[in-house]
Amino acid sequence: MSAALYWLGGGAIAAGVVVALFRAQWRRGLALQAVGATVLMVAGVATVATGHAVGAAFTSQLTPRLGVDRLSGLFLATLGLVAAPALAYSSRYLDDSFRGRLVGALTGAFVLAMAGLACARDAITFLGGWELMSLLPAVIILLYRNADAESRRSVFIYLAITHLGGVGTWVAVLLLAHAGAFGAAGVIHYGSGLQIGVAVAALIGMGTKAGVVPLHAWLPRAHPMAPAPVSALMSGVMIKLAVYAMIRVFVDWLGVLPTWFGVLVLAVGAVSCVGGVTYALFQHELKRLLALHSIENIGIIVLGLGACLVLRAHGEDVWAALALAAALLHTVNHAVFKALLFLCAGSIERSVGSLELNQLGGLLRRMPWTGAAFFVGAMAIAGLPPLNGFASEWLTLQALLHVAMSGHVGDGAAGAVALAALGATAALAVFCFVKVVGLVLLGPPRRAHVRDALEVAAPMRAAVTVLAGACIVLGLVPGLLVSRLVAIAPWSGDATVRAGLYVPSTGSLPTVGIAVVLVAATGLLTLLRGRRTAPAAPTWVCGQPVVPQLQWSSAGFTKPLRLVLEVVLRPRREIDVHTRGGVVTEVAYEGEVPNLIDERIYRPVARWSLAGAAYARRLQSGSLGTYVGYLVCLVLVVLIADRIGWLG
Amino acid sequence: MTAPAVASIAVQVIGGLVLSPLLPGLIQHWKARLQGRRGPSPMQPYRELRRLWSKSTVDVAGTTFVYRFAPAVVGACLVAAVGLVPVNAVRTNLGVGHDVIVLVGLLALARFVAAASAWDVANGFSLMGASRDLTIAVFAEATLLLALAVAAVLTGTTNLLGMIAGTAGGGVWSSPALPLGALAFGLVVVAETGRQPFDNPDTHLELTMMHEGPLLEYAGRDLAYLQWAAAARHWVVMVLAAQIFLPHPRGVWAQLAMLPFVLTLMCGALALVETLLAKMRVLLAPRLLGVAASAALLGVIARGVGGS
Repeated sequence: MSAALYWLGGGAIAAGVVVALFRAQWRRGLALQAVGATVLMVAGVATVATGHAVGAAFTSQLTPRLGVDRLSGLFLATLGLVAAPALAYSSRYLDDSFRGRLVGALTGAFVLAMAGLACARDAITFLGGWELMSLLPAVIILLYRNADAESRRSVFIYLAITHLGGVGTWVAVLLLAHAGAFGAAGVIHYGSGLQIGVAVAALIGMGTKAGVVPLHAWLPRAHPMAPAPVSALMSGVMIKLAVYAMIRVFVDWLGVLPTWFGVLVLAVGAVSCVGGVTYALFQHELKRLLALHSIENIGIIVLGLGACLVLRAHGEDVWAALALAAALLHTVNHAVFKALLFLCAGSIERSVGSLELNQLGGLLRRMPWTGAAFFVGAMAIAGLPPLNGFASEWLTLQALLHVAMSGHVGDGAAGAVALAALGATAALAVFCFVKVVGLVLLGPPRRAHVRDALEVAAPMRAAVTVLAGACIVLGLVPGLLVSRLVAIAPWSGDATVRAGLYVPSTGSLPTVGIAVVLVAATGLLTLLRGRRTAPAAPTWVCGQPVVPQLQWSSAGFTKPLRLVLEVVLRPRREIDVHTRGGVVTEVAYEGEVPNLIDERIYRPVARWSLAGAAYARRLQSGSLGTYVGYLVCLVLVVLIADRIGWLG
Repeated sequence: MTAPAVASIAVQVIGGLVLSPLLPGLIQHWKARLQGRRGPSPMQPYRELRRLWSKSTVDVAGTTFVYRFAPAVVGACLVAAVGLVPVNAVRTNLGVGHDVIVLVGLLALARFVAAASAWDVANGFSLMGASRDLTIAVFAEATLLLALAVAAVLTGTTNLLGMIAGTAGGGVWSSPALPLGALAFGLVVVAETGRQPFDNPDTHLELTMMHEGPLLEYAGRDLAYLQWAAAARHWVVMVLAAQIFLPHPRGVWAQLAMLPFVLTLMCGALALVETLLAKMRVLLAPRLLGVAASAALLGVIARGVGGS
């Protein structure tokens, strides 16, 4: 039954890809793709709920096989949940030019590649899906942006970093297949060189694709370039599939890893979440800001994964399973609210023509549907109760606290530091999204064209409304999902099925109770306050008129924190004051917070590589004689090596 | 329902919802006395709430539902927080559980909504206050979590009932962990209640406002909600300080009986701190919180070394 559903969903998407290419039918094609994605989601939810695996099991043979188990089902369900609204959204977001249709078709192909990766049961299919998943967005970006200079540069950086780092994935997967451990736990021994090698290679390779700091440099460049629905899929699902791969390798296949590796994963997660959100805070372009927040959220997910590894190494299986469930729950939650935010950003860009935060404002009144959905998404990503972001951050915090409780001094300290990092991250995310909501949705419009912005077409509104509803539902009943997620861990049983999160040695998170109390108290207080009788009046700014251009800017709002963190972040700013005859005639201001990792790591490496290439280029003389000389030298070297016995 | 439960619920609900304005009132009263002034009576916050309740309000033109609902949502967050924080180790389940991390989330929600309302009215002074408040909150929240982590690792739970029971008596004070956590939490109390040296609740100068900034465009009952919420925040963090981070007896009745005295003493201590210290520069406050966070981290490590 379930297998048929998966084939049906995949087939519908594939058919939709073809249909979307024809001008007369392209909207129907996208609709067909959306239906297919919905079917995939239903099938995935069924697998997660029942736990019945379908199709083949994992094999270290190199013959193509497909299959779905609970973990794959969860990621397929997430993919469907994001892809269905994103594809429906595409039908109005794209146009019917050949380029638009091609982008729509390739979006479906991208979804299929990700589904293929999640279903892959052998190394070859897995690596094929992995590479397709990396390449298709690059093609889409180049097509959509008409291969202009900026997009070419972004795509180059994206491909260069993901492929250099991606070597780690190939090494890890091929080593696993070679050892016969692709899908088989217990083959590789605890603490062996092979185990450590595979783990480190996978952390580098899959970490690059997930966008953890310091391997994240491609992410804030590539994601904002893509069309909004593809950005939603990239941030919502693509980088999550790297997390899927990490869970497969670290949790399923490598057995128990040494504690230090878990602590390393914790450190990577902590640096990613604090680094991602800090740079997001000082970002003034909406899509780039959202892309940097993806790094933050991947960091939170990796923190949960790290807590799982450490706790498992300590033998605390119950809490290790809960930590894994926390990571998976945040994976789903982030997919939902990040897709929502990217789609809203696309709508805003369509109606206003700009995503510069300082040039928007007041859109909640002009675009009530998109604005309200954006507000819900912002509260969810800021981790505020009673929405879904809070539930998964709560569980992750509890898992980290449990690491801190474990008897070992060093691991306990690591857990406590990670806990503080996540706390600071949550507060920074609140800061950042107050800023975003304020600059985009609230206050007076800052530019004339924003005042005339129009709400977008119905399918685009429906897509974001569905995702906002998902944020609320997942926030109300996270317990239903977590009880299934706990069972994903290969070593643990079921948890109790309840709407809220009821976990031993915590005060529990009764999500429904909190939501009811908050809504009821808000309603009661609003009733008690009564209606207003006096007419509204403008804001009091000491008697001056309110000038929209003089409103607070993104840089101004975050300035106190920038000053506090000046020692670390080293912001740049330039102020040019032109005076004539003692009178200031013109003031020019420019400021930015450069990305330290770009400046300190990537730039020098790029410089050395280019310098090295300049030397290496001298080998390429272009004359035939030289090349023959090289060949002769090579033959001589081989002969000598053979003579000495180096070649065995 | 048992007698201790009824008494605990009564103290929790009446204390948190009705008596909490007494706490800032007492602090103001004693602060004036310490400075050689006669000052307002401790009942002053009630008089202000009564006055505000009967005043009409003028809405800010061009605002959205965010401005209109913000005071009610902030009030609701604090109502939920009062319901969440028990006054002793007796289970008083009011539907919101007793988890301390949920409390952190509720306070964050109140902060978010207040700051969003500042953006909605687009008043420069409101935004200045919100911006500073959020900056401090970044460090305060990390410190708060670390301080709570000290108590949580000592008691093995984040359930406030377990934390209150686990830190009762004199035994836990033999290791340095809890004193270090208490030091950190003490600073968090000052930061969360918006008192000197982090913030000056008496200021009438918009330029120096932090917590008061986003309140500028509110009047009447809206302002009454926000002022009550500020008082309830005093109650929530001071009850936590009294029942977890200060010595308290094991018996649940003794815990209830001690609470008023400890709260009064803490009001006196806060008044003394406000009298002795000037408000520090906004940008220096994170350093002070950094010291507190380090102390709390040492507390967690100290517990690990002790192996208890």
